Formats: sequence, structure tokens, C-alpha cells
Amino acid sequence: MVEYQLLRAHSLDELLEILDQRENVQLLAGGTDLMVDLHHQDQKFDKIDYLLDITAVDELKGIQLGDKKGEIGALTTHAELVSNPEIKEKLPFIAAAASSIGSTQIRNRATIGGNLANAAACADSFSPLIALGAEVVLRSKGGARRVLLEDFVEWPYQTIIKPDEVLEKIVFAMPQGEYYSSYQKIGRRKALSISRISLTLLAEVENGRVKKAQVASGAATPFPVPFRKVNDYLNGKSFAEIDPIEAGNIAADEMVGITGERWSTPYKRPALGKLVERAVEDLLEEAGYNG
Amino acid sequence: MAKLDVELTVNGEKHKLKVGSQERLLDTIREQLKLTGTKEGCSVGECGACTVIVDDQAVNSCMVLTAQVDGSEIITVEGLESKSGLHPLQKAFIEKQAVQCGFCTPGMLMSALALLNTNPEPSKEEIKTALEGNLCRCTGYQQIIDAVEMAAEEWGA
Repeated sequence: MVEYQLLRAHSLDELLEILDQRENVQLLAGGTDLMVDLHHQDQKFDKIDYLLDITAVDELKGIQLGDKKGEIGALTTHAELVSNPEIKEKLPFIAAAASSIGSTQIRNRATIGGNLANAAACADSFSPLIALGAEVVLRSKGGARRVLLEDFVEWPYQTIIKPDEVLEKIVFAMPQGEYYSSYQKIGRRKALSISRISLTLLAEVENGRVKKAQVASGAATPFPVPFRKVNDYLNGKSFAEIDPIEAGNIAADEMVGITGERWSTPYKRPALGKLVERAVEDLLEEAGYNG
Repeated sequence: MAKLDVELTVNGEKHKLKVGSQERLLDTIREQLKLTGTKEGCSVGECGACTVIVDDQAVNSCMVLTAQVDGSEIITVEGLESKSGLHPLQKAFIEKQAVQCGFCTPGMLMSALALLNTNPEPSKEEIKTALEGNLCRCTGYQQIIDAVEMAAEEWGA
């Protein structure tokens, strides 16, 4: 039988104090993953003495996008990401990923920090943020550290967060100059869909040439990774030199290099290749290249 | 395990309650407040039968611990009808025959109300997005979408 003491933090200081003083504390934010585990009386609760609700901690909320830097508070809900005008305008791939998550009811509760900290292989928030080169700020009573998001997950459902730390916010450099992005996702249905494969392409371009491309996957690999070989293929190329099909093949090979041949490979290899191909086509089209 | 004190405003009425550490908003609404219009379907956020409005947003009440929403304003399906009669949404659901077995209806009404409260003139796509977390195994959805469109027109008129 599941037993825990429920605590509520009302400020970041109070939250960090509780994490410092007590052991076996599980944080609770939007609850859209954890409440499912609770309903199933999941054995993860065997190791939990305290469930600490952090939804009232205002310091973990809010979106700030400057010219050079941006940050998103861990308790920002997916609904807020979808409706925020600045996100829509400057980082539309984040809004696209957020809008593909769950349903209206789920997006109203589920938070971006919760999505990252839960670290499901299919979590939709990783690929846009890894493409941005984002870092997470992990804060404890003793101070804070910044970790590249691509180094944050060790294995599905396992992150490098220490027991006395909270994921405070996500920080990143804003893309500069002329840039284009594409978010792609395959699920088995439209709403309430678990990603089979998702993907973000973000590219800064200059004078008809890709200056800096960042392609990152979700769900295609056990934990989210940047596709460096595709980045290398795209970087420095003029639009005329880019073959979207080749970019797709490179990504597919890179994925299989990580996962090995699995039962799902005959499906995932062409599917991922096609998603990368579509993303690159999106980029060329948006950039006005009609090769 | 010690109970927690919470204060909720439900359908305009204030309640001071003691809740358990595993008590979901759904349990509080049905078991403590005896408002059984809100239904429990899947219990894992897939079906939307338990949808209520918490501080103006449609939420699955099976996915929220009551202690998490201490101080919040909650609307359940029982909050729709007023002294002047049925709410335009309820009338439209009847008029358009958007109800068959009725189990999904309270959740559908709450999702639709949350939409119309913030967006009184929604497009068909916006209606579909608002209702995407609500499953109905009887109607095939078209009558429900028609009903929300009708309610939007009536309500705005």
C-alpha cells in the first residue's frame, strides 16, 4: 500500500529547505505522469516518504525571452507555451511541440520541467530544447549548477538530478540573425498521442547558406540526442547543395548507430529519415529557396 | 496519516474541508461534496469524464490532489444550471442530441464551458482542440461539436 506524507512548498526557499532536511522526497508538479503512477500504486512509491507539491512556488514560473538569452521556468505549463505570443513568434518549434502534447486538460496542468525531470523516452519537450542548445539550472540549498540538456538524462526515467536539487529553469541563447525551424512528430493518433518519433530542426542561415544547424530527436532513441552527423552535413552548405533525402538517410543511420538493429528498426529507419527530409524541405521552403 | 486543511470554492460556494494525502479532487467532489455529476472513467487522464474547471481552466480532476488546489475556484457540471434555468450549453446539447449514454457529457460540458469563457466565438478547429481530451464512445462527436457551435451562437446573442 502506498503511504507518504504530503507537503506543500510556497516559496523556493521553503522548497530547498525541505529537500535539504528530508530524505526520500518526490517532487509533484502538474501530476500528469505521477498521478498515473499513484493510481497504479506503482512500486516507485515504496521509496517515497514525502510527496512535495511545488505548484505554488511562483519563482519557478514564467517565460523571459531577451535578444540574446531566454529562460523558461520549470513550472511553465504546456498551455502557457502554446499561448505565449513571444514563444509563438520567436521559438515556434517550442509552441509546436507543446501543442502536440496530451490534450487541453493535460496541457493546462503538465509542466515543461516535469516533462524533462520525468525523462520518458517519448517526452516531447526535449528535442526543441536540445536543438536550442538549452541548459537546465539545477538548484539546491547550497547553490545552483547548469547542465546541458543533452547530458541531463542518463537513461529513460533517470536523470542526473540529485535528491536535494530541483530543476529551476531552462536557459538558452536565442537563435541569432535569420533562422528557421521545423518540429515533426509521428504518433498513432492526433490527440493524447504518445510520440513514436519526434524531431526538431533549427537552423541559422546567412546569404543562402546554413550557418548553424541543430537537429535533435525525441522518442527515436532511448534518450534524446542531438544528431551531430546531420548537423555536420548541413553546416556550411548552400541551399543548392543540400539534398533533404541524404540528410534523412544520415539521420536514420545515426539513429540505428545509437539504438542498434531492433524489432522496430524496419519502421523507424525510413520514418525518421522521412521526418528529417520533411524538416529540411520545410527549412528550404521557408528560407525561400525554390531549387 | 494526518489530514490536510483546504478551502475550496465550488460552484460559488465556499467549503472548508479536511483531505487525505492521496485524495484526488475527483474524490473530494464526489465523496465529500456529493456532487456526483463529475464522473470517473479511466482514472489516468485519457478520457476526460472527470473534467472540471479549476481557476478558469479545464482540468482532469483525477490527476490533481485536492491539496494542490487549496484556495482555488472550481466549477463542476452542477454549476451550470441557474435559477433562470438550464445553461445555453445544456440546452444546445439537448437540442442537438449530443447525449446518448451521457457518461462523457459532464466532462464535455466543462471542456466546452472553459473554451467559451475564454473564446466566445471559437472556430470548429478550436472546438475540436478544446474537446480533444474528452472521449465519447456513442455519438461520434459531430453532434457535440454542433451543440458547442450552437451554444456559442446563442450565448453571444
